[in-house]
Amino acid sequence: MVNKKKVFGKMEVSKNSFKTLSEPVKQFGGLVGIIILIFLTFFVLNNIFGEGDELVAKMKIEEERIAEERKLNKLISSLPSGVLVSFDGTDNFKLSDELYEAVCKATKLIPQRAIMGANFLNFRAHEIYTINGNKIDETFVKWDDEKNKCFAGFVVSGNNVGVDETVKVSGEALSFLSTGIDTRVYFIKNF
Amino acid sequence: MKKLIFFILFSSLITSLASARSTGCKEGNCDNGYGKWVYTDKTTYEGEWVATKKHGQGTETWPNGYIYKGEFKESQWNGIGILFFPDGSTYEGEWANGFMNGQGTFTWSDGKQKKGIWKNGSFQE
Repeated sequence: MVNKKKVFGKMEVSKNSFKTLSEPVKQFGGLVGIIILIFLTFFVLNNIFGEGDELVAKMKIEEERIAEERKLNKLISSLPSGVLVSFDGTDNFKLSDELYEAVCKATKLIPQRAIMGANFLNFRAHEIYTINGNKIDETFVKWDDEKNKCFAGFVVSGNNVGVDETVKVSGEALSFLSTGIDTRVYFIKNF
Repeated sequence: MKKLIFFILFSSLITSLASARSTGCKEGNCDNGYGKWVYTDKTTYEGEWVATKKHGQGTETWPNGYIYKGEFKESQWNGIGILFFPDGSTYEGEWANGFMNGQGTFTWSDGKQKKGIWKNGSFQE
């Protein structure tokens, strides 16, 4: 009972001392209070609905990807238009090791002639490709860090004489076509 | 605004006409005789034609560097011919239905060779 009285007494004192404060101080205190309340609200909401560190990490990865893409686009626009090769013995533009890697990483397209060329040594792939009206399920262009080489390929699937088949053709991407806007795999060496 | 739409439509018409003109028989007779045909992707065939089909001796050049020189039958690589791959590798020998079929020699760009019988593009061990 005595304790309760003491507490109420203290509260009364602080209430009175608050009343005695000047108006600007009271307003400043109120402002600080509102700011703290806003921060707390967002903190609670973020804990409930936000992805926190995961979201930040995702954003960082996306930012890095965009930066890398910009860098590669800049590089592609600086390349001469036409055929780019990674080997000697032709009149075409010879890619340096660094450029070869960069072009490989920037390339996504594989045109029909490159696919048809690779199919010369894969009759099954050729058959499925032809039967299905030149349809390709998937294409890929990958840089192999271990081998320091660029690999490209494609997957064809379909029904070949009553049998469902899927054939993956892949090989070293040795030449590219630079259009000024993008680059395309021009020769897949799968032999 | 109307002018802009008209300009865009007119430009596309001109572009499509120009690209349409880029394919076809460019030289000679591509029906029966000797002629040069250029495709939209810049693939060219120069050689003999019979009934609008590639038939006889000819050379087909792909824009990505494949070159076939040899016999054609019904527009397909058939007979004796040599295929140059873009990296300098070659296959010289018999062809059927557009594939290495029969006796032939595959030579890699580094000089390594494989000689023997081929079936649908595969070497028969």
